[in-house]
Amino acid sequence: MTFFDLARKNAWRKPLRTVLLMISIAVAFLIYGLTASFLNGTQGAAGASDDLLGVTSASGRTQPLPIAAMSRITADLDVAAAGYVARLRGFVDVEKNFVAVSAADPGLLMAVNGKELGLTPALIDAIGQARDKVLVGRALAEAQGWIAGQRVTVTAFDMSRQDGSRDWRFEIAGIFEGENAATDTYFMIARYDYVNAARVRGKDTVDAFVVRPRAGVSPGELAARIDTLFSNSATPTRTQSERQFLEAFLRQYADIGLIVNLVVGAAFVTLLMIVVNTMVFAVRERTFEIGVLKTLGFSRLDIVALILGETLFVFAVGGGIGLALAKLAATFAGPALGLVFSTPVLVKALAIIAALGLATGVLPAFNAMRIPIITAFRTR
Amino acid sequence: MTQGNEPYIALSGIKKAYRIGGEMIPIFSGLDLTIPRGDFVAVMGPSGSGKSTLLNMLAGIDRPDGGTLRIGTSHLDQMGEAARAAWRAHNMGIVFQFYNLLPMLTAAENVELPLLLKPLTRKERRLRVERVLDLVGLSGREKQYPALMSGGQQQRVGIARAIVSDPGLLLCDEPTGDLDRKSADEVLEMLRFLNRQLEKTIIMVTHDPQAALYARRTLHLDKGDFIEEKRAA
Ligand SMILES: Nc1ncnc2c1ncn2[C@@H]1O[C@H](COP(=O)(O)OP(=O)(O)OP(=O)(O)O)[C@@H](O)[C@H]1O
Ligand SMILES: [Mg+2]
Repeated sequence: MTFFDLARKNAWRKPLRTVLLMISIAVAFLIYGLTASFLNGTQGAAGASDDLLGVTSASGRTQPLPIAAMSRITADLDVAAAGYVARLRGFVDVEKNFVAVSAADPGLLMAVNGKELGLTPALIDAIGQARDKVLVGRALAEAQGWIAGQRVTVTAFDMSRQDGSRDWRFEIAGIFEGENAATDTYFMIARYDYVNAARVRGKDTVDAFVVRPRAGVSPGELAARIDTLFSNSATPTRTQSERQFLEAFLRQYADIGLIVNLVVGAAFVTLLMIVVNTMVFAVRERTFEIGVLKTLGFSRLDIVALILGETLFVFAVGGGIGLALAKLAATFAGPALGLVFSTPVLVKALAIIAALGLATGVLPAFNAMRIPIITAFRTR
Repeated sequence: MTQGNEPYIALSGIKKAYRIGGEMIPIFSGLDLTIPRGDFVAVMGPSGSGKSTLLNMLAGIDRPDGGTLRIGTSHLDQMGEAARAAWRAHNMGIVFQFYNLLPMLTAAENVELPLLLKPLTRKERRLRVERVLDLVGLSGREKQYPALMSGGQQQRVGIARAIVSDPGLLLCDEPTGDLDRKSADEVLEMLRFLNRQLEKTIIMVTHDPQAALYARRTLHLDKGDFIEEKRAA
């Protein structure tokens, strides 16, 4: 037997009580694991790289920039690669079925962002075959049931063609996979030359430049330099890391992360109260025995360690079960639901388990520590 | 170690009073007592005379209001709580009337408890536990839970737990108070063995004159003072 065995045996004295506690803890951590994985997976920001820069108009993300600005950006020696994107937003068949098309130079995009998107030379080759070819992201392709070789028509919300229609017909040249499950692949890549030639308005403009700094270059400094470059031009720019860009982008709709954190936080606070309350009573029931242990020579610290060990044990088992279930869900339903149970999610959850395990033990441990032996003996 | 002529336990001028209903009721007002090493003392006296209070002070779980209390080289009246806990872990074993075993632990685990406070390996602990359980005649019952044992067996586990750290002093508060005659005699025989063969100093509170006969001498506590019983040799 060890000290920890003693704590563990104490926990199992009222098996029903302990099992119920563990279930509530498991449920809380299952919810936590799922929401954290969901935020991680769908918000894209997790998969977004911190050293890619996005250059957009300072007057708003929907304001265009002239494509001519490209040469001024690539002139900076700290720029390893740069590309540009014009966004075509529209729907397929029904208006609810929203799709986003990024019109780009595939070669440049490959150089800047090819690894993250999972672009391969074969895919670049395929899209180069004809002007109306597109590459579709895995997530979008699966959601729509599209396969390579299929023709699709995207009805643009605002980008009209010279022939007066807003229907853009594309042929799927291939599917890109994204670097990992966290990469946002719910969009398609079209050829800028095709889209730009066919559209009525906004010719020779782009919505954003994407810049990859040279290795060792501070992205923040480069971003500031690019913005200075255009500060006195007709189209001042705002340059952000891709992660900042995505986070700001998502925040325009709703700060989902904040809402989820508040809900999960409330669940944890409730859990804390339940476990503290239960443990205070559990320890009070054992006052006499704590007196016996002290008589045998257990110090105040030993008693504290014993009770903290017990709450930690209950949290470790309950939390472990909850996280294992979350991991299971992410493994089997992850790609469909956009769940990514990453190492940072796990590490954070383990930290919360430890923190709650200790926090819930503090009050009962403090109570037990203070009881004088003589008083403890008079409780029976 | 104390000198040969210096008593092992020395209480002098011990004062202790309890507040009962807003009034301070004195239990001891200037108690003196010395006990040599290797003694086996039975303490008798009417209920409420302060026998348990005395034992608690000797165990370092209650403190005198005044006077000095020394055991070996430790001045318990001057030691803080942590020091007294450490002292208990190494120098004293205690046997209770109602055994006070932990119900969720087996006999062996109950006996092992005090050893968790010592720098011993798992194996060393197990060997020691086996040895004392054997000594109290309970080998083979290591895995039994207290609830399934008779009172006499439980008290033998209690004694094993009290001696497993090999303390010099054994304090027993009515160790046979809850046992039938036969079990009581077995337990008392064991205490006498521990005193005679293993040279433990034993102080035993008892209401049972028969039990007191196992001790080397009997002290009667009455109105806060001791009267030594004269006994035919
Ligand atoms: N913690 C306490 N608070 C208040 N009074 C106490 C406390 N402990 C003991 N007393 C009182 O002190 C007196 C002596 O108690 P003690 O338990 O030492 O007696 P005892 O000789 O062991 O009696 P018994 O034979 O019944 O066990 C009693 O009157 C008891 O009520
Ligand atoms: Mg008593």
